[in-house]
Amino acid sequence: MTAPGVVHVPFVTPDVATIVQGMTGRTGRRHAQLMRAYGTRIVGGVSPKSDDDEVDGLPVFKTCIEAVMATGAIASVAMVPPLSVLDAIREAVSAGIKLVVTIAEGMPIRDAVAALEIVHAAGVRWIGPSTPGLAIPGKLKLGFLPDVSLAPGPLGIMAKSGTLSYEVCHRLVGRGIGQSLWVGVGGDSVKGARFADVLPFMLTDPDTHGIVVIGEIGGSEEEELAAAMRALHCRKPVYALIAGRTVREGVTMGHAGAMIQGDIGTIASKTEALAGAGAHVFTRIRDLVDAVATGVKAKGEQACS
Amino acid sequence: MMLLEHDAKELLAADDIPVPMGVLAATADVALPPSLRAPFMVKAQIAVGGRGKAGGIKRAASIADLHQGLGELLGRTIKGQTVRACRIEQRVEGMECYLSVSLDPTRGRLRVLLSFEGGVDIEAHAERGALHSADTEFKEHEAIAAASRLANTIANPARETIVHAAERLITEFFAFEATLLEVNPLFIRPDGSWTAGDLKLVIDDNALVRQPRLCDLIRHRANAYPELALKLNHGFDFVVVDPDGEIGLVTTGAGLSMQMIDELAERGHPAFNFCDIRTGQLRGDPTRLINVFQWIAAGRNVRSVLINFFAGITHLGEVAKLLVTALNAVPELRVPVTARLIGNGYDEAIAVFANAGHPLRVEPDLDRAIELALAPLTGARP
Repeated sequence: MTAPGVVHVPFVTPDVATIVQGMTGRTGRRHAQLMRAYGTRIVGGVSPKSDDDEVDGLPVFKTCIEAVMATGAIASVAMVPPLSVLDAIREAVSAGIKLVVTIAEGMPIRDAVAALEIVHAAGVRWIGPSTPGLAIPGKLKLGFLPDVSLAPGPLGIMAKSGTLSYEVCHRLVGRGIGQSLWVGVGGDSVKGARFADVLPFMLTDPDTHGIVVIGEIGGSEEEELAAAMRALHCRKPVYALIAGRTVREGVTMGHAGAMIQGDIGTIASKTEALAGAGAHVFTRIRDLVDAVATGVKAKGEQACS
Repeated sequence: MMLLEHDAKELLAADDIPVPMGVLAATADVALPPSLRAPFMVKAQIAVGGRGKAGGIKRAASIADLHQGLGELLGRTIKGQTVRACRIEQRVEGMECYLSVSLDPTRGRLRVLLSFEGGVDIEAHAERGALHSADTEFKEHEAIAAASRLANTIANPARETIVHAAERLITEFFAFEATLLEVNPLFIRPDGSWTAGDLKLVIDDNALVRQPRLCDLIRHRANAYPELALKLNHGFDFVVVDPDGEIGLVTTGAGLSMQMIDELAERGHPAFNFCDIRTGQLRGDPTRLINVFQWIAAGRNVRSVLINFFAGITHLGEVAKLLVTALNAVPELRVPVTARLIGNGYDEAIAVFANAGHPLRVEPDLDRAIELALAPLTGARP
């Protein structure tokens, strides 16, 4: 699928050495084990307060820099509370981490803006806040995407919502269609990776034959994606589902970014932009799943390998 | 969350930002303080943009006008929102200007907009080139410097006053961790005084935990901000989307809950509520479930309840036990309950419900569960 001369830089490599910040906490410990069981190369964890040198067979360090020096880690999954996310990112970046995933929901916007400045200056990729993470199904999981929805296959998934993407992918997996790369960008307004940032990787990835976008009302990310699709001459089929058509202006629906303000963030604006850029836009989960299944079969693409 | 104008003004007035004197009126027979005299402005308190254009602001030259204006506005629905209160304030004179400071979430930067012409038609000023715009780093001193630069591009006697007002307002924007502060009109007078005629303030819900004054405001005015007050008190999201809604939703995940509301609406059946209960945070405590069942039971038109838990990690057997406990604790919920459950421990969950003898229908497929939940409303046999 990749055009001749276009070099594909992977969004993330499957065997990336990964540490877990906050690994001795309830969530961190559990998910470190689950990610490891999935195949992720978890090489250690960071916990400034813990006196243990080891948890569940993984080394525990007091600081990121010690963890990176000892393990050569390149990625970090921060399992820390929302008000500690900025500090976790700052520490990871200064230790030389190149990919940081922050799962906490509720990071204040001012902190997210500061984090964005830090990761931009250092050339670090940040996924989050408020994300279930990312995955290369069958190989790598950074975060807590549910195994029942993950399977190797031809689709690139980018999603603002965790649960809605679980639902969509679960049904697609039930139809025998899995994923090449899944990136949860999260439901906040200021974030590390946006839809338009993820698109180029999916377009150049030879294993990605179609893209599923799980959007929702609020902000302008879907419109930015549409602009990027045009700019990059997107030829892979894009299937989009946008949640929240019944939401009133001014009310926040769970996700901090899911709020309509005036004419910004409406379903009409997003649908028009994406459809105008050639995406297939759906209102029902079932219709999207049917269209993807039909599209994949028509192309004779390999589904779940 | 956008604050109501009245709250934004009282909040900033406490920091000595000049605003027109005003009071909040929830009924037409409001008693005015002696210092508040005609002419008045009567302003519907709703959290939407374009309120003036939509007829939500009335001028009143006399007490009789005022009562008429209140009568016309209170209870009316403007841009989908019911007017529960109006702010009555002294009409202010002066040159009308415009100032706004807003977050550009895409780039994590700030946009400062300034115009020496205010009023409802700010878009028209923009088209004529009268709206001056600067893009800056998301930092207080950068924003103040940008506002000052913008003002200096224009030879206008009001310049110094505008710069002063911008400095004060930008300080407030940062102090309250706002994402939007818009003053339109910003009244400027020849003696160098100024007044924030209208004030729009959007705050960051995620920052509330470290904004004690905003927390106090939300708690004191819980009726005006029910969703935010509920989140502060209970730690999760529950929004009544339609008081006449037919389906109560007990769901986890914001995106999936929104999508279910959409899909129910498409089938012609409005949902009563949005809900992101966060099953991962229940940790053996049924309190959240009990609360949600109680709130749904209070819905006057709710005829069916649909639970949807896509449990990535949480064990469904545990969830089922909590559901049984919660349902038993809310006997006032008398409508049929359908549970769509998926994840680890499905069979255990079925066994828990069977042993409890609760007439709850369990279904692993979402579309099928929606049909089951709608059956009592449509009379269809599922």
